[in-house]
Amino acid sequence: MKTYTETLYDSYGQEFSVDKVYFENKTDHQHLVIFENAKFGRVMALDGIIQTTEADEFIYHEMLTHVPLMAHGDVKHVLIIGGGDGGMLREVCKHASVAHITQVEIDDQVVDMCKEYLPNHSAGAYDDPRVQIVIDDGANFVRECTDKFDVIISDSTDPIGPGDVLFTSDFYANCKKCLTDDGVLVTQNGVAYMQLDEVTTTAKRLQPYFSDQTFYSAAVPTYIGGIMTFAWASNNPALRTVTTDTITQRFEAANIKTRYYNPAIHMASFALPQYILDALESNT
Amino acid sequence: MNRITVKSTDKAEFYQQMVKQHGSPLLILDCDQLVQQFNALSHALTDVKFYYAIKALPHPAAIQTLDALGAGFDIATTGELELLREQGSQARQTIHTHPIKRDTDIRDALRFGCTTFVVDNIWELEKFIDYRHRVGLLVRVSFPNPDTPIDLSRKFGCREDEVSILIQKAQSLGLHIKGLSFHAGSQCPDSGNHVHAIEQCTKIINDVYKNSGKLLSILDIGGGFPVEYMQKTMDIESFCSPIRDALKQLPEHIQIIAEPGRYLSAPAMKAVSSVMGKAKRGDACWYYLDDGIYGSYSGQLFDHATYPLTIFSDIKETEQAVLAGPTCDSIDVIAEQVSMPPLSIGDIVVGHQMGAYTSATSTHFNLFDKAKIVAINQPVKTVDNLLLLNK
Repeated sequence: MKTYTETLYDSYGQEFSVDKVYFENKTDHQHLVIFENAKFGRVMALDGIIQTTEADEFIYHEMLTHVPLMAHGDVKHVLIIGGGDGGMLREVCKHASVAHITQVEIDDQVVDMCKEYLPNHSAGAYDDPRVQIVIDDGANFVRECTDKFDVIISDSTDPIGPGDVLFTSDFYANCKKCLTDDGVLVTQNGVAYMQLDEVTTTAKRLQPYFSDQTFYSAAVPTYIGGIMTFAWASNNPALRTVTTDTITQRFEAANIKTRYYNPAIHMASFALPQYILDALESNT
Repeated sequence: MNRITVKSTDKAEFYQQMVKQHGSPLLILDCDQLVQQFNALSHALTDVKFYYAIKALPHPAAIQTLDALGAGFDIATTGELELLREQGSQARQTIHTHPIKRDTDIRDALRFGCTTFVVDNIWELEKFIDYRHRVGLLVRVSFPNPDTPIDLSRKFGCREDEVSILIQKAQSLGLHIKGLSFHAGSQCPDSGNHVHAIEQCTKIINDVYKNSGKLLSILDIGGGFPVEYMQKTMDIESFCSPIRDALKQLPEHIQIIAEPGRYLSAPAMKAVSSVMGKAKRGDACWYYLDDGIYGSYSGQLFDHATYPLTIFSDIKETEQAVLAGPTCDSIDVIAEQVSMPPLSIGDIVVGHQMGAYTSATSTHFNLFDKAKIVAINQPVKTVDNLLLLNK
């Protein structure tokens, strides 16, 4: 029986049985594989780290999309950094009010490969006329971009890897430049129990540019070790004090079908466990 | 001085065939021999997990052969891990043992999936702060061995009394030290220094637990297992017997690992070179081979090795001879003041025990091509080990 063992941590990890390998690439100094697993469907792993699975990706993509879009309430322009698998795009496209979506992916082959081997992630979203795909380094794109967005979603890999530039102060500063006054930046920020440093480091780097900076969370089974945190950064603190009633009204008006996100989850996801609050407290 | 064995010309046929097919100079890597060496070492040190030090002979066929036997790999650089990646080796089965690393080396290894690293000082420890949740570290301890040709405790390794300081520092930084490592020296004449090092490490492991409650779980006993070049060396069984006894004193939970390089690869490769010119200079006949000190015989300089040689001749009379390499430098001499039957241009000279630190350290001086390595008796590639996935 073939297995795939994640190599993220030295003393702890998860293992998948591999029923079939759909795609494998070990060139360009990296190892990318997409395989079938009985419990999680198609699984994509890069350099020994699980990136996404068909079965639990909805939690991650819904939370990085609907929380900022519902909190804002009037999102027209969205920028997605990374997210080549198309899952984020699929969720953003569900919002009829969004007029234009720019997705910046560093490698066009990733998009093609995911369309072919993970078709359920994008579910046709790449054909949406509102979508513009830019092939560029995300950090470079925000440095040079003169457009403004209501929401920026950073859907990056682990900070030790090709996505490392998406965790820098420079990147955050340039994101601020590309946001409208009421805009919000959300980013993938790792599993806090396993990598608490990622939370404190991101907080330190975001706070100089944003008056309202916090984290919200969700548990994604294949991002092992407990809850994953998402960084939240905005210069409009009111986005976080929108009432449950308002979120509910907006969600009903949007008429979006979700499997994880709902207004109660939205409100609750900003509650952080004490160990994270303590780490953030001692960080300042 | 090199020992030169003279064999009859009919014994040269295999090498002549190989040269005809692949050209000269050549290095012939016999994968069967690798398997034999691995099995002999496994038999002499049961319950020890071996990580082949691929620096000795970083060749795909050697990696594949040892991978199929269940060996792990000891890497020191990004180049070495790229070779492993190309061969589809399991990252979980690798340890990164270079005591001094750049941040990019650490990141490359982590991206490959290697999470075990070696440190021997505070500055190195601090390099892991950003990766503290992902790694397990070994502390390399120095046990100098003046009896070996290459003392590997001079350049690397902390003093025994520094271990507890490093462990305390690691704990305060949130870093996990999971064990100790040492290198008793290369090509050790006996295992006295291994035994001494194991005894001292046993003491350190027990003391650390007693004093701080910190549980160490791994002891890496390095390499140093000897192979026979010119001098008779101990057989592996006699060499390892005192090591086995010393290991019995360790707490039962300790996993023992080792990093053999030379022992596995040296006997597995032979160098085949051809006489490309000859000249009578003084009393000696000079033979200029197409491989030399700047090529496969570089180990005679860097590795302090002297390789046994074979020539093929049916002539009984001998004369004074010098075997030189092909480059323009006069240091490029393999063997001097040897007495042997005369050779003709085109004749073959074979070097033995030339798998470790030979081609690995050869140069392109004079822009001579390096000897081509031809692997024989390679394990058959199955569909399974074409995949990079764990089997």
